[in-house]
Amino acid sequence: MDLANYRKGKPCIIEHMPKNNLLNSMGIREGSRVSIKSRQLFGGPLVIQYGSRCLAIDKKIAEKIKIKEV
Amino acid sequence: MKCHNTKSRGLPKSAPDDIRILLMGNPNVGKSVIFSKLTGVNVMAANYAGTTVSYTEGDIHYGRKTATLIDVPGTYSLDATSPAEEVAVNFLEDGANVIVCVLDATNLERNLNLALQVKHKDIPVVYALNLIDVAESKGIQIDVDKLEKELDAPVIPTIATRNVGLKELLDKTWERALKDPVPTEPTHISHDERWAEVGRIVENVQIVEHRHPTFWERFGDLAVQPIPGIPIAILVLALSIGFVVGGGQGIRATILLPLLNNVYVPAITTFVSSFVPEGILLNVLVGEYGVLIKGIEWPFFLILPYVALFFIVMSFLEDSGYLPRLGILLDSILRQIGMTGSNVVPMVMGYGCAVPAILGTRAATSKKQRLMITGLVALAVPCVSQTGAFIALLGDQSVFALVFVFLTSLIALMVAGAIMNRLIPGENEPLLMEVPNLLKPNSNALVQKVWLKIKQFVYDAQGPLLLGILFAALLVETGLLLVIANVLEPLVVGWLGLPKEASLALMLGIVRRELAVLPLLALELTTLQLIVGSLVGLFYLPCITVLAVIFKEFHFRLAIYTLLFTTLTAFIFGGVFNQVARLLGFQ
Repeated sequence: MDLANYRKGKPCIIEHMPKNNLLNSMGIREGSRVSIKSRQLFGGPLVIQYGSRCLAIDKKIAEKIKIKEV
Repeated sequence: MKCHNTKSRGLPKSAPDDIRILLMGNPNVGKSVIFSKLTGVNVMAANYAGTTVSYTEGDIHYGRKTATLIDVPGTYSLDATSPAEEVAVNFLEDGANVIVCVLDATNLERNLNLALQVKHKDIPVVYALNLIDVAESKGIQIDVDKLEKELDAPVIPTIATRNVGLKELLDKTWERALKDPVPTEPTHISHDERWAEVGRIVENVQIVEHRHPTFWERFGDLAVQPIPGIPIAILVLALSIGFVVGGGQGIRATILLPLLNNVYVPAITTFVSSFVPEGILLNVLVGEYGVLIKGIEWPFFLILPYVALFFIVMSFLEDSGYLPRLGILLDSILRQIGMTGSNVVPMVMGYGCAVPAILGTRAATSKKQRLMITGLVALAVPCVSQTGAFIALLGDQSVFALVFVFLTSLIALMVAGAIMNRLIPGENEPLLMEVPNLLKPNSNALVQKVWLKIKQFVYDAQGPLLLGILFAALLVETGLLLVIANVLEPLVVGWLGLPKEASLALMLGIVRRELAVLPLLALELTTLQLIVGSLVGLFYLPCITVLAVIFKEFHFRLAIYTLLFTTLTAFIFGGVFNQVARLLGFQ
């Protein structure tokens, strides 16, 4: 399953994601535990929570992030 | 220009025996606040990533010694993926005596990733563990002693906005700076190895217990849900506009106008005419465009009330961390006009002044985004002084005209954005933006910031305004204005439908944006003329300072294009609007 279509508010673990330096140095990488905080209208960005912080991430990127439930 | 710290991006030349201290860290961890407190130099800080896009340096004193402290732009890594990050990497390569690395205690994991990269350079480091108050409220506890051992360097817990821990940070930094460095081999480890190390350290030093979210945390979460986020955004904007327009009108009507008309003008006129004989000099000083009349009335009695209230609203929005949330809500709409949610911050800054907005685009990752924001801000975003002038001109006579002018500016932004998006090559980058903690702004910091901005405004605006008004007074008193007005008559009277004297606004508008509007105040215009005059002022060229910044940040050609394009847009749009409105029978 990809992150963009995952349920809101449920934690999940990133299994596979494309190489992205900025995401990596922000601490989002394979094995990270994240959850979706909000979705926007008209295909806008997702807000995801990791640790105690939040990140807005384009839907196109989120679609390429494969996750598994925990 | 002094205020915006626009030093060139090259590296500073320092004498070899200078002590250089680099202030580094992730974006939005409080580097600029610490910098201001340690050096006494005020720099702008705000609660979002990318406030410092160039670097700032200042002196810090300790006993009889002096060192240069350099506020390096925030970076997530030392990979250099944006111009701001390249600046940081260059500084490291240039060497320093000590690095003060600021860590955000609410997000230790991500901050340690950079901390370890910094640690592996051959420079002594002192760590400031900032925002420990926010971390505590989130239930995060960090064992500072263990962290010191892990990082093999001093770690000082700080709350920079409230001066907690800064003295100790300074002590430790100097201790390290004055000690002879022990040479260490810079080591290089891979991304994965480093993250594994980060994970181990976090596990070892941090305990997180569940806390009930505070009011501001819950509000911050709600503000990024479409519902109620969009109604909240509308409410925030409505309150902000109401505060600036309503508050400004109120202050002017009850305090400033009586003070001006009953006290200041009679007093200064009597005073000056007591020793200056009638003639050109007297008129230049206290006549129709008297430097001592308009030079005081325009900046202080007309513009400043709105400017000050605007700064209060802006500082509150900046320090709370709300603006990036607005960007998230607007992202999908902004994409239609070639922008992204992360551009909201520089665009909103443009409503203050175009200069920091254009400089702020350095944090943008693509050239296209930089060009888009620069173009849009220069064309259709009125700066705070011009907004003040619009309210002063239109607010009393026709609120409808005021609303109309601002709606036109929004529509122009959309249309120009859509066109530029087609014309400028390049892909629209996907959004990737940190969402800062929503914080209750610290009231002391807020008051200080507003005061600093007001001081800067008066400092920046007063000189050009006085020169502009002096120029106007000379034009009027020597009769030169009539000659120029006759030349411009076909444009100003025939095409735009304004009185001949309005040509003065076109001349003064080159100096500052509000001067393209203020001369219209004295002309007793009809509502149609007010709107046409305002529209011309809105799209007319940005002030001379902005053109200079565009030249410096991009190239001369772009500054000339901006000049021609904005001026043509102003005349074509203002004229067509005037002609059509008259055909339809409006006066």
